[in-house]
Amino acid sequence: MTSFDSKYDVSFMFPAGDVGVVEGEMNIPSRGVPSGDSMEFNTLDEPIKETFMRDLRAVGNKFYHVLLPREKSSLLKEWDLWGPLLLCTFMATVLQGAEEADNTNDGGPEFAEVFVLVWIGAAIVTLNSKLLGGNISFFQSVCVLGYCLFPIALSLIVCRLILFATQNSFLFFLRLTITMVGFAWATFAATKFLGDSQPEGKKALAVFPICLFYFILSWLVVSHSNI
Amino acid sequence: MTHVNTGDLLNFQDYSPEHNERSARIDVEAVHTNQYNTMSTSNYNYEEPTPVEEQETQPSQTANHNFWTIEYYQKYFDVQTSEVVERIISSVLPQKVSRNYFDERIKGKPDLYGPIWISVTLIFTIAVSGNIANYLQSANKAVHWRYNYHLVSYAATAILCYVWLVPLALWAALKWTSTNDNQDEIETQASSSPSMISLFCLYGYSLSIYIPVAVLWTIQVSWLQWLFVLMAAFVSGAVLIFWLLPALKKSKYFLILIGSILAFHFLLATGFMLYFFHVPDTASAVALKVLTTLPATQL
Repeated sequence: MTSFDSKYDVSFMFPAGDVGVVEGEMNIPSRGVPSGDSMEFNTLDEPIKETFMRDLRAVGNKFYHVLLPREKSSLLKEWDLWGPLLLCTFMATVLQGAEEADNTNDGGPEFAEVFVLVWIGAAIVTLNSKLLGGNISFFQSVCVLGYCLFPIALSLIVCRLILFATQNSFLFFLRLTITMVGFAWATFAATKFLGDSQPEGKKALAVFPICLFYFILSWLVVSHSNI
Repeated sequence: MTHVNTGDLLNFQDYSPEHNERSARIDVEAVHTNQYNTMSTSNYNYEEPTPVEEQETQPSQTANHNFWTIEYYQKYFDVQTSEVVERIISSVLPQKVSRNYFDERIKGKPDLYGPIWISVTLIFTIAVSGNIANYLQSANKAVHWRYNYHLVSYAATAILCYVWLVPLALWAALKWTSTNDNQDEIETQASSSPSMISLFCLYGYSLSIYIPVAVLWTIQVSWLQWLFVLMAAFVSGAVLIFWLLPALKKSKYFLILIGSILAFHFLLATGFMLYFFHVPDTASAVALKVLTTLPATQL
C-alpha cells in the first residue's frame, strides 16, 4: 500500500477542494465459526437446507420457551414472526365454519376473520401497551403475543381430537377445561414476557387487554363444535 | 427463572467494528487530504449505519406533537389502574366519589383507555352471552345448535355507533345551544362546555354497567330480563345526567336534552336485550313484531 503522507508541506501543491485518490483494502477476518448471535456473512455458501434448519430451530426454540418460560431473551432479543404466522394460519384453517349445502355458513368465523382477529388484535394490544408508556418495541410485542398462542393451538388440536367421538356433556366439560387451561397458560406466559415493560401502577391496565385477547381466541376454540 | 433485565435486552446493541472483531473492516487511506487535521495518515473506518432503537419517550409535557405520532395520543392514556377503577365506580355509584368528580378529574384529564376497552369488552361479552342464551333457547329442540360468530359484528356495530355518534351529537347540541349567563370573562373549567373527549370518556364508562348485566341476561326469564333492562338503563342514565347537570343547565333545551339522553340509553339496553337475549314469546305481539323487523340470522 503506497500512500502519500499528508503533511502540511504537501498541501500547497494541490489546490483546495481537490480530493485526490482514496485507496483502501477490504478484508473479512475469518476467525472460525461465528456463534449464533453474531451477524452472519457467509450464508451464501451454505446449502439451503442448513439455512432452513437454522430458522426452523430458532422457531422451535421459541415454542419451547413459551411452554416453559424461563428466560426472556430468545423471544425478545431475536424476535421473528414465523411462529405467529404458522399458528395463526393453522388455527384459522381449523376454526373456520364449513359451508353447508344450502349455501349458509354454519356460524363459525371465516378464515379471514380469524386471521384479522389475531393480527389486528395483537396490533391493538401492542398499541395499547405502547400508549400506556411501555418501553417495548412494536414487533417484539407482536412476536410475544403471537408465540404465546401456542398453548391455545395445542388445546385446539386436543379439542378437535375429542370432537371425533360422539358428544355428550362430559366431553363438553372436558373440552371446556382443556381450553381454559390453554387460556390460562397463554396469559401467564405472555404476562411473564411483557409484564416488566410497563411502569408500576399500570401493569393491570396492560395485562387486561392481553387477557381479553386470549379469552376471545379461547372462546372460538371451545365454540368450534362442528365435525 | 433467571431475572433478565428487559431493559438490557432492549438496549442498543453495539455492533461497531471497534468492539466486534468479526465484522468487515475497510481500511481507507486518503492519499491526499485538504483537511486541517494534523494526523499524518487518516484512517477512515467504515461503519455500518447504526440501527436506531425505537425511542419511547415518556408522555411529553409539551402539547405540540404531530397528529401522527404516538406521543400525541399518549396524553389520553395517562392513567393509573386505580384511576380507571375509580372512574368505573363513579359511573355507577356517584355518591362514592366527590361531588365535582367530573369537573375536577374527568374534564381535566379525560382518558381514552376506559371507553375503548370497556366497549371492546362489552362487544365480546354480548357476543359470548348471546350465543349462550341462544343455546339455552334451543336446548329443548331437536335442532343441532351451532354458534353464531357474527353476533360479534352486530354487537360491535351497535356499540361503536352508540359510543361515537351520541356523544358527538350531545357535544354539538351543548356547544351551540348553551347560553352563557355570566358576563364576566372568567371561564372556569366548571362553566365551559365539556369537550368532545370528555363526553366520550363519560359515555364509555357509563357502558360499564352493561357488562355484568349482559352476563345476567342469559337467564331466560322474560320479566327478569326486562327488569335488568330498566335497572341498568335507569342507573346508568341517571348517573350520566347527574354528571352532566351543570353543563346541561346552561342549555336552552335542557329538558329535551335530558329526555333524549335517557331515551337513547334506554333504547340501547332494550335493543341489546331483545336482539341477543330475548325468548321469542308467541303470546306477546310486541316481541314478534320486533323480531320480524330484525335481520334474520341463521341458526
